[in-house]
Amino acid sequence: MARVVVDPLTRIEGHLRVECEVQDNKIVDAWVAGTLYRGMETILLDRSPEDAFYVSQRICGVCPISHSHASAQATEDALGITIPEGGRLVRNLLEAAQYLHSHILWFYHLTALDYVSPINALSANIADTYALAEAAGTRVNDFGAVAARLTAFAENGQLSILTGHYWDHPGYALPPELDLIATSHYLEALEMQAVANEIVAIIAGKFSHPMTSVPGGTAFVPTVEKLDDILFRFIRVKEFIDTALIPDTLAIAPFILDATTYGAGTGNFLSWGVFEKSSRVAEERYLPRGFAQGLAAETVSPDDVTEDVAHAWYSSGTGLNPAQGETVAKFTEYNMDDFPGESDKYSWGKAVRCKGLSTESGPLARMVVAYLAEKGGQDLTGGATGVRTPAALIDSTLEALGVAGKPEVLVSLLGRVAARNLEAAYVADLALVWINELIEALRGGDVKFWEAAETNNGSGVGAWEAPRGSVAHWIGVKGGKIDHYQIVAPTTWNTAPRDDNGVRGPLEEALIGAPVADPERPLEVLRIGHSFDP
Amino acid sequence: MAQEAHGAIYDLLAVRGVSRRDFLKYCSYVAAMLGLSEAAAPQIAAAVEKGAKLKPALWINGGSCTGCTESMAQVDSPDVATVVLEILSINAFETIMAAAGHDAEKNIADTVAAGGYLLIYEGSVMTGEDGNTLLVNGHKGTDILEEVAAGADAILAVGACAVDGGWVYAHPNPAKAIGVQSFLDTVNIKTPVVNLPCCPTSPEWIVAMVVQWLLVAEDDPATFLAKTKLRTRTYRDTVTGRDVTLNYPEYVIGSTIHDNCPRRGHFENGHFVTEFGSEEEAKGYCLYKVGCKGPQTFTQCPITRWNRSVSWCVQSGAPCIGCGGLNWVDNNTPFFKRLSSMQMGDTLGNVQPGSVAAVVGGVAAAALVAHGLGMKAAGRIGPDGPPVETAKAYDRKRMAKKGGDK
Repeated sequence: MARVVVDPLTRIEGHLRVECEVQDNKIVDAWVAGTLYRGMETILLDRSPEDAFYVSQRICGVCPISHSHASAQATEDALGITIPEGGRLVRNLLEAAQYLHSHILWFYHLTALDYVSPINALSANIADTYALAEAAGTRVNDFGAVAARLTAFAENGQLSILTGHYWDHPGYALPPELDLIATSHYLEALEMQAVANEIVAIIAGKFSHPMTSVPGGTAFVPTVEKLDDILFRFIRVKEFIDTALIPDTLAIAPFILDATTYGAGTGNFLSWGVFEKSSRVAEERYLPRGFAQGLAAETVSPDDVTEDVAHAWYSSGTGLNPAQGETVAKFTEYNMDDFPGESDKYSWGKAVRCKGLSTESGPLARMVVAYLAEKGGQDLTGGATGVRTPAALIDSTLEALGVAGKPEVLVSLLGRVAARNLEAAYVADLALVWINELIEALRGGDVKFWEAAETNNGSGVGAWEAPRGSVAHWIGVKGGKIDHYQIVAPTTWNTAPRDDNGVRGPLEEALIGAPVADPERPLEVLRIGHSFDP
Repeated sequence: MAQEAHGAIYDLLAVRGVSRRDFLKYCSYVAAMLGLSEAAAPQIAAAVEKGAKLKPALWINGGSCTGCTESMAQVDSPDVATVVLEILSINAFETIMAAAGHDAEKNIADTVAAGGYLLIYEGSVMTGEDGNTLLVNGHKGTDILEEVAAGADAILAVGACAVDGGWVYAHPNPAKAIGVQSFLDTVNIKTPVVNLPCCPTSPEWIVAMVVQWLLVAEDDPATFLAKTKLRTRTYRDTVTGRDVTLNYPEYVIGSTIHDNCPRRGHFENGHFVTEFGSEEEAKGYCLYKVGCKGPQTFTQCPITRWNRSVSWCVQSGAPCIGCGGLNWVDNNTPFFKRLSSMQMGDTLGNVQPGSVAAVVGGVAAAALVAHGLGMKAAGRIGPDGPPVETAKAYDRKRMAKKGGDK
C-alpha cells in the first residue's frame, strides 16, 4: 500500500488536494479536499440583489459569467422579472463566448500537458509532422518555426512553467510529430481563448468579471456594428474548434484508449440546463435540465439538492437544502499524519448531493442528459439549421473510435475529455444561430433588453450551467436587501468530500480502480482530476 | 548551448510575424506607461531581450479566484506565451505549470533557494481560522507567503484581493482576508511591494511592472521602488488594526476614470442613462445616474481598456463599480445607487461616503450641483489627489442652464 498525495493539484481554478491509497498500482481509495474558504455567502448578506450579481461572480475568475447569470436569475426569480428577448439572446451569446474560451483553455492549457510532451516534440521530423497533420485533418501551422522556438527555449535550460515535470513518464506515448502539432496548437489556442474573451469584453466590458448581465436583462445595447465585431470573432473561434480542437481530440484518442476503462465516477449526472429558449422552460434549454442514473433520464429540481458537512469544516446544519442552507466556518483539525480517522473533517467543500446521490456535473453530464433527451425525441435546437446536435456529435465520435452504438463508453476518463470538446462544437454552432436571431430582432426594431423589478421582496433560485458544471444561487430578498444567500458552485459537485453516510464524491469515486503506473509520478491522477476541470 | 545574448527575442518574435519595428513600438508603449520618454524604448528592448538568462519569477495564488491569472492570459503584447517562456522563467504558476504536488513545491523551494526572483502574488492573504482558511499540502497560505516573500527581490501584489483583501475583505470578512502589504507589515518583511489594483487587475499593468523590474534588476534590485514612479495610499486594516501604506504605479492611479472617460462629454452636457437597455445607452450617455463610480475611482482603465483594448466596463454599458479603490465592495455598494456624497478622492481608505468632509471644487462638482443630484458636496480630496480642476464660470453657467436631471 502506498499513499499518493497531489497537493497542490495544479492547472485548475483554486486549491485542491487529492490523496489516494494505491495497492498493486491501482487506486483503492481516494479523498479530495478543497483547501480554501473565503465566505462569499456571508459577505453578500444585507446588500442589494444587484450587488450580489457583481460580487458573487467573483467566487470564480474562470466561470464568472455563469455565476453572474445564476445570481441574476435568482434575483429575477425572487422579484418576478421575466427578462426581455434581447436580454435572453445577449446572455446566451455572452455565456457561449465563455464556454468556448473555457473549453479551449481547458483542453490545450490545463489538461493537454497530461498527454502531450512539448519536450518530446523536439525530436519531431518536420516533414512527417505536416504529413500527420494532413492525415489527421488537423490545422497546419508553421511547424518548423514552432520547433525552432521550442528548441531555443529548451536549449536555454530554463523551462519556466514546464520545469520539474516528469516528461519521461511512460504515459507520454504520443509520437513526437503529434506532440509538435499539439504544442503548436497550444500556442495558437492562447490566441483563440483571447479572441473568445474579446467577445466577452465587447458585450460585458472585460474578462474576467463581466459587467452587464444585470438583474432584469442586460445593460449592453448592441448595435449592428458591435454584432459584426462579435460575429467575426465567433466565426474565427468556431473554425479553430472544427479544425484543431475536434481533430486533435480524435488524433490523440487512439493513443489513450485505455482511458475508456477507468475514471467513470458515480454515473449520476446532473444538468440544470443552459442557453435559454424563448419558452423560458429549463427542460427545453438548448442544453436541457435533467438528471440521469445508469444512462436513464429523470427530471430534477433545485429542491432535490442537499449539502452535508460531516467531513467539511463547518459547524452549521447538515443535510439542508440551500434554500434553508447555512454557512458557518469552523476549522477543527486536519489530521494529515493519521488520515483518515473515523470522523475526520478534511475539506472546505460541502458534500452536495442531488436526490441524495453523489452526482457529477459538467460537460459529460450535460451531454449525457442532452443525448438521452434527443434519443427520447426532444428537438433541442428548435429546428435551427447548421447545428451539429449532441446526439449527432456523440454518435459520430463513437463511430470514429470504433465503438458505434455504445454510449456507455462515454462514462469514462476519455469520454469526459471528449464530451467537453464536442460540447464546444455544439455551442459554437448555436452562437451563430443566436447572433443571426439578434440581428433579425434588431432589424425588426422592437427588441428590449432590460426590465425593472416591481417588488422588493421574495425568494428565488437561479440554476444554470457553467462550463465546468452545475451552478445554482439561492437568494432571499426583504425590503430590497439580501437576507439569505447560498451558492452551490460547479466544482462543489465534482470535488465533494464524503457525505454524512461516508459516500465518496464524484472525483473521489472516479479515481477508484484507476491504474497508477508509478506512484512517485501519478500522471493518471492528474488526468482524472483535470478531466473534471476543477 | 547558450543562445546569443543579442537578437534572440527578435528571432522568436519573427516566428510569430512580429517585426523589430513592432517590438520597439511596444517598448515605447511600455515606456509611456512607466512615465519614461520614448527615448527609453531601446533600453526597455534591451531589458526584455536579455536573452542568455531569463529572470526567475514565482506566481503564487493565495485566496484567489484565478481571475487575475485569466486576465494575464488576455495580455495584448507581448503575448502571454512570450511572457512565460521568453521574458521570465516563471518556475511556479499554479494555473498553467506542468508540475503538480511535491514537484510543484520543489520548484518553489528551488527558486527561493536560488534567490533573485520576482514574486507575483494573486489573491487575498487568508488569516481566518488561525490561517487554516488556505492550506496547501498542510502548509498555511500565510506561511507560504512569508517564505516566498522574504527571499524575493520584489513583489507585485496583483488585483484588489492582493492589494487589500479585495471583496474577501468586505464586511464581515468572515475569513479574515487581508492584503499582501498589510500581512508583510505584521511579520516585518521589508521586501518592496508594488500594488496593481482592480478586480481583476490589468495584464498590461503587470507587464509594464515586469519590464520595470527587469530594467532595474540588472543594476540593483534594491532600487526598484526608488526608480519607479509611485503614488501611495494609506488605510487602516480592520483585521490587523494597523495603518498600511501601499505603493502603486503612478501611471495606474494617477487620474480618475471620470477624467479620461469617453462619456465625459455627456456628463458635462447633462446627458444621462437613467435606465439600463435604454435609448440613452445606445447613444452612449453618461452612466453617473445609474451609479457609476468613475468620478471617485483612480485608475486609467479608459486608456488601456481591457481584453486587448476592445472594450471596458463603461464602454459596454455598465457603470464603473469602483473595483480599483480600497475596500472596494464596502465603499461602493449599493453599486447602482448614486452616492449621496461623492467620495472624490483616493486617500480615504475605509471612510464611508457620507462621512466625508468634502471640498467643493471643479467642473464635476459644479455640474452635479447644477443637475440637482442631491450632492451634499463633491470634490477632490487629499494631498495625493490629482490637481483640482478650476471650475470656469462659463462651464458653471452652461451647466446650470442645461440642467438635464429629469
